[in-house]
Amino acid sequence: MIQSLLIANRGEIAVRIIRCCRQMGIRSVIAYSQADRDCLPVLMADDKVCIGPPPARDSYLNVRNLVTAAVLTHCDAVHPGVGFLAENADFARDVRDAGLLFIGPDPEVIELLGDKIRAKHSARELGIPVIPGSDGSVGSREALAAARKIGYPVIVKAAAGGGGKGMRIVRAGGELADVLAIASHEAEKAFSDGTMYLEKYLENPRHVEIQIVADRKGNVVHLGERDCTVQQNHQKLVEESPSLAVDPEMRRRMGDDAVRLLKSLGYTGAGTVEFLVQEGKHYFMEVNARVQVEHPVSEMVTGVDIIRQQILAASEQPLEIRQEEVRLDGYAVECRINARSAGKVVRFHVPGGFGVRMDTFLYSGYSVPPWYDHLVAKLIVSGRSRTEGIRRMEGALSELVIEGIATNLEAQKKIVAHPAFRRGDYGTGFLGEVQKEGIL
Amino acid sequence: MELNELYALMEKFEKSGLSELVYKRNGDEVCLKKVLTSPPAPAPAVVQVPVSRPVHEPRAPSPEAPAKKGPESELITAPLVGTFYRAAAPDAPPFVEIGDVVKKGKTLCILEAMKLMNEFQAEFDLEIVNILVENGRMVEYGTPLFEVRRT
Repeated sequence: MIQSLLIANRGEIAVRIIRCCRQMGIRSVIAYSQADRDCLPVLMADDKVCIGPPPARDSYLNVRNLVTAAVLTHCDAVHPGVGFLAENADFARDVRDAGLLFIGPDPEVIELLGDKIRAKHSARELGIPVIPGSDGSVGSREALAAARKIGYPVIVKAAAGGGGKGMRIVRAGGELADVLAIASHEAEKAFSDGTMYLEKYLENPRHVEIQIVADRKGNVVHLGERDCTVQQNHQKLVEESPSLAVDPEMRRRMGDDAVRLLKSLGYTGAGTVEFLVQEGKHYFMEVNARVQVEHPVSEMVTGVDIIRQQILAASEQPLEIRQEEVRLDGYAVECRINARSAGKVVRFHVPGGFGVRMDTFLYSGYSVPPWYDHLVAKLIVSGRSRTEGIRRMEGALSELVIEGIATNLEAQKKIVAHPAFRRGDYGTGFLGEVQKEGIL
Repeated sequence: MELNELYALMEKFEKSGLSELVYKRNGDEVCLKKVLTSPPAPAPAVVQVPVSRPVHEPRAPSPEAPAKKGPESELITAPLVGTFYRAAAPDAPPFVEIGDVVKKGKTLCILEAMKLMNEFQAEFDLEIVNILVENGRMVEYGTPLFEVRRT
């Protein structure tokens, strides 16, 4: 079993991992940048190591300092958290080469899944439905041919893609070559890889993903789905489980596809298989080879501590849950609270009560540094039904007070109160429509 | 007891105010003692605010410290996480001693990171006023290593 864990991350996910370490009797060591000296995880961890100046490339992305810090503080494992180096195969390899456990899949698996073309190919080989598109990477000639075959609109995507970068929708053939060149250039700059592929663009689908946990003994279990359809510029804002777009039969099929795919890859730890859903059909999109920001939603409906399963799996321990024991019990929803400015939080009040959970690293008097991701808190509530859960979320949002920095709190209240959200009949275009109504 | 547990215990013990610790569990017994040969090294005096000095409890500034310091001394801090070595080999003489006046480019110490020995050189002509880290200790990014004066 792991004795000492270095957390190569910051913010709320670092707090989440430290809490899990405490529960499991594991010594936690936090790696932090100079901008995060007063950050909550640094105050909470058993030990701490400053690994660089504020810019992430010199600290949270500084592989050499992170691995050295882990070795010199006698850690036996490294948790990469979310973002930063979480899906970096070279980092996972360096951790392994230093004789430490990496909390996540093997570097070879991270590498394969990081290439969206190879990942899609793996899914198709297993007979998992994929979005129709090009056969592998495309230049402008192949792209035109593929688009003619499947019909417009199409979407061009970067093979190394993520976060909406290197992604463009093309509605007519005339613009395809130019758009492809621009998107490829953007991908080249963002990921040092301009390889592109092309897919049919689904209009206003739902984004539904399956949570997976897997150990090193061949057990792969899915914890049902999360619906992450409420997005702004490909950034998720509200996530819920179960999804209104998924019935038990469809859940079984999607879960089965996700389990088969990750089993075939020898996957370990927590992972998410993302699908687009339209008219009762699901299409494989990609795999996130890490724990995700919205993992608490699945924890709340299944009662499974996902971070704990990750740590157990890395320690060669079996999962604590079997597939036949997994139940989606009631409903859970998460609202992401994002900062719209940096600065000092002068007043902070956390909502409470039955079925309310807040994962955050804020405290009164804490200064939010301007260097990193804007996510500052995740408010998660559960209820016996979607109606009860959403009402509870409304109550919790109205209790939450964050003064001193600008946040999206008011926008979240409006999203949750929106009639289309209440009815549940919307697709990924929902927030765009809401914005046109001028209420966000 | 696992080695890692022992290391963790040693680390906690070192930082604690205890001078002796006996720990027994499952038949294992560990006895840790601090050797108090010389008075503890003076806390690194601070002229400029150190770039990164991890502080567990805010430390009260030592009253006599500011008076002792020359006005123009400055701190050289660690540019990476690693192990601090004052000499090229265990039996070799240290690169520098307190009071040495050295030219730009002179090696001051070695920082070992991931089995790579990074030689760390003076960026300007300087005098070593104080050496702030013991040989073989781990340093963080920004840990003050030397107090120096430009010459």
